[in-house]
Amino acid sequence: MNLESQLRAALRHKQPPAGFRESALAATRRQPRLRPAWRAIAAAALLTLLAGGTTARWVEERREGQRAKEQVLTALRITTDKLRDTRETIHEASNH
Amino acid sequence: MNFTAAAETLPDDSLTRAQAGDSEAFAELVAAHEAMVFSLAFHFFGQRERAADVAQEVFLQLFRALDTIESQGHLLFWLRQVTSRKCIDELRRKRLRSVSLDDIAEPATPAPDPLLGRELRKLIARLPESQRIVVTLRYQEDLGPEEISHITNIPLNTVKSHLHRALRSLRRSLEES
Repeated sequence: MNLESQLRAALRHKQPPAGFRESALAATRRQPRLRPAWRAIAAAALLTLLAGGTTARWVEERREGQRAKEQVLTALRITTDKLRDTRETIHEASNH
Repeated sequence: MNFTAAAETLPDDSLTRAQAGDSEAFAELVAAHEAMVFSLAFHFFGQRERAADVAQEVFLQLFRALDTIESQGHLLFWLRQVTSRKCIDELRRKRLRSVSLDDIAEPATPAPDPLLGRELRKLIARLPESQRIVVTLRYQEDLGPEEISHITNIPLNTVKSHLHRALRSLRRSLEES
């Protein structure tokens, strides 16, 4: 018998140990399989959550921006009032 | 297409039923292919326990990927590919180098020359990993170099070169022993 025939004989299929199939099937029972439809639903739900989260963050950032803008405007208004008071005080002093 | 004897008796609709969630149909798929998957791992590692662990992981992965399997032929290709990759990955991960001679068990039905068969399996288990998987797919599964190249993603010329080197190495080792 040549080497190739000897290799074919030596490498014939062998049966796995007793209990292998039961053990393999038990392992699959512990791993629930998601059906394609459920996978699609889960993916859609995840996308919705992500999109919702992004939108909420964008709205919050806009709100914060608006608050900051209002604070700057208030500060400018106060500064303008102070400057006007100071100018009037100087003007009155120079007229006396 | 090289189907095993058990796979040939598999009902045509077992894949479809398994994909629909029929656990008995999935058990039929395991029964049809377990000897092939286990033997690939056993001839690669030379260790029954490790081979059984790898084979179990393969079937678990199949369970998760069942919806991607298109036909019985695709299933056979998928199982050979995933088992081959798992064997190489496992070896690289664990850096398994030693082979326990006690673990290289005799097959249930003795080979024409049991001693030579045992010696050959021992020598195969000592080949470099790429040569080992190529030789196992060639002589266990009776696949041609092109199919082996497709399954292992090793270039065709490299597959041929691995086969040539492995045979030369095995022949030399047999002459020395």
